[in-house]
Amino acid sequence: MIPIFKHMLTRYSGWLLTAGVVGILTCTGLGQRPTSSGGQTAPVPAQKSASPARFVVVLDAAHGGDDGGGQVGASVAEKTVTLALSVRLRSLLTARGFTVVTTREGNVNLTSDARAQIANHATAGSGGAACLSLHASEAGAGVHIFVSSLAPTQSARFLAWKTAQSAYVARSLKLAGTVNSAFEHSSTPSGGDSADANAGPIPATLARASLPGVDSMTCPAVAIEVAPIRSADRTVVTEVTDPQYQTQIVETLAAALLEWKTDQETDSHPSGGRLP
Amino acid sequence: MIPRYQKIVFVVLLVVSIVMGTILVRLREQAHDRLLKGEDVAPTVAPAVAPAEQATLVVANDSDGTLVEEAQSLPLPKDAEARARALLDKLLDMYAGPGSLHPVPGVPKSVLQVFLLPEAQGTGAKAANGGQLAVVDLAGAFADGHPSGILTESLTVESICGTLRANLPRITEVRFLVDGQPRATLAGHADLTRTYLTGDSLASAAVAGNPEGRP
Repeated sequence: MIPIFKHMLTRYSGWLLTAGVVGILTCTGLGQRPTSSGGQTAPVPAQKSASPARFVVVLDAAHGGDDGGGQVGASVAEKTVTLALSVRLRSLLTARGFTVVTTREGNVNLTSDARAQIANHATAGSGGAACLSLHASEAGAGVHIFVSSLAPTQSARFLAWKTAQSAYVARSLKLAGTVNSAFEHSSTPSGGDSADANAGPIPATLARASLPGVDSMTCPAVAIEVAPIRSADRTVVTEVTDPQYQTQIVETLAAALLEWKTDQETDSHPSGGRLP
Repeated sequence: MIPRYQKIVFVVLLVVSIVMGTILVRLREQAHDRLLKGEDVAPTVAPAVAPAEQATLVVANDSDGTLVEEAQSLPLPKDAEARARALLDKLLDMYAGPGSLHPVPGVPKSVLQVFLLPEAQGTGAKAANGGQLAVVDLAGAFADGHPSGILTESLTVESICGTLRANLPRITEVRFLVDGQPRATLAGHADLTRTYLTGDSLASAAVAGNPEGRP
């Protein structure tokens, strides 16, 4: 009997060794492909980098699919304007070296929970992040910058889904300040149908609001609502659908995000080192 | 030949029937009189006209995204719920008027009802102070016709909360219904599923344009 066992051990030792290694890897999870944290099912982000210390910008074009949002201009749906802004901004940011994740690339339905899931998966473990929810409206004037109205709380291991943003409100306020500062240094679009070309910066309004998607995001998040530029008597000078106006806005947002990224890197590593 | 005792029974039953019939007719007449008396009383008393009072409306401005307190003189009923509805009707009428800084199309009855409820148990000091939860039931036509946008919708909600708090200080929380049913958003943006704290509205009015609340 002993020679038989010896013969089998010699012949199948390679197989046994391989099976053992595979078994250990399976048990420890080292052999599995990386998956999204939390175990939740979420739509796959449009773009995502695998760099561990990447700076991620999440662009959420509001509405989409059956949800057209409000009416902007003569006959344009809000969802169309927000998608156009998202695509333009993504191009600018990608060119500047950002890792950009968009919640939608086409005319698709997305719930606010799905948008927050995409943002949270994309920013989990990133070196720095900024989440922008893009909206458009005919009401008001200029650009409205919103931060969640949730009261700031300390970060915890587990956060309630509906109020997860509360742990990031302080950083969201800083991000809103950076964006507001960028708009203060911007200039209104020239040419086109603008009557008051180069009349001054694009007016920006800072406010707090309760927004279902943003309130669940675990990243510094602001909602940007683009409204027409109006004159003193409140007549529309530049429509939201004006391509030059949109270009001016996305360029200003890109500059703000670049400054935000620099600030974050400086805050994390004053000596100029890499992000954790 | 009919026995004598049967004649007596017949007479007694006849008399009882006549008496019962008379009583029934009389009772019917009395009920009819009471009904007529009630009908007479209802319409003859004219509704009392509430005297005009000073009220504070928290009015929104789309241009700069601010809420501004504005004193108005208007007749207000004594009942708190009717008073709240009258205040909100006036506020939304102003938004529907020409030259409004926060234009919102008006409908005949924008606010269907305002219910005032004691705050839920377990909300701490507020409950002990007798805080109230106001449930504002908006008309579906009003919500459907409201302009879409984060700023305009938030300002409408915040101005309603602020107006209620400014005139009925016991109201500390506000919830919204549309046509008696919960609704996710007012017109696609402002969250109507949450409970709004009226203290936050006044804070918003005070620090509009300065979200961090810095002086």
